[in-house]
Amino acid sequence: MIFYVVNYELSVGSIEVLGVSSSSLLQVGDDDTISLFSMFDTPAESMIVGPLAPLQLPEGAENAEGERMPGEEHGPVTIKLR
Amino acid sequence: MRMNGVTFSLPGANLPDPTFLSLDDTNLRTSEVQGIYVNTLAQAGVLQVGDRSESNAMLRALALQRQEDHPYAGDVFFESYVIFDRPIPAFVDANDPDSFVVTHRWNACKTIAVGCISIISAGASAQVVIGTGQTHRSESRIKHIRQFRGSHPVPPACP
Repeated sequence: MIFYVVNYELSVGSIEVLGVSSSSLLQVGDDDTISLFSMFDTPAESMIVGPLAPLQLPEGAENAEGERMPGEEHGPVTIKLR
Repeated sequence: MRMNGVTFSLPGANLPDPTFLSLDDTNLRTSEVQGIYVNTLAQAGVLQVGDRSESNAMLRALALQRQEDHPYAGDVFFESYVIFDRPIPAFVDANDPDSFVVTHRWNACKTIAVGCISIISAGASAQVVIGTGQTHRSESRIKHIRQFRGSHPVPPACP
């Protein structure tokens, strides 16, 4: 299939936006490909009463960004730049 | 990095190789904006005036609302939640020649005119772009958790 597009005049009076958020895009212009993905997770079980599940630390926790390991001194948090 | 004889680099930044917009001057549209008002731009939000080739925005967030203070309620790790590792569903393009789409664009009018843009806030890897681009890809993964204080053990009764 051949899809032929002719763009004639496009003029807009004004645009009023309250908020652009979470990897969204507002563009005045052309783009060849745009792909936007969003994943939200707010299930019922995300409401926790009491401590977080007493699980052991996740795999790779020692490389986690910006987290203290248990037993470490309470110092400033260091964030690794990759 | 080298462009039009000008060399520049950011030491330690470890940036990927730049890709440049293939400028086909004969079929480009110009964006004309009379004015833009942005109140707040935060959290890796981008306001770009000009053309670009490729952009990649990524947001990972653990939105944790706690009744108890952070030092007492425990640490939270991105690694604990599958949402941050879950693969993106792939776009399945048709492969047979009958459903292969070839797009041709002709810009009869070379301008996109916009009067005034008023934005209260742009944030969390959001992008506001005035200009032409080639590919844009952005991804956000947000996990919401509400954590309440558990019931405390009852103190021993006075004899």
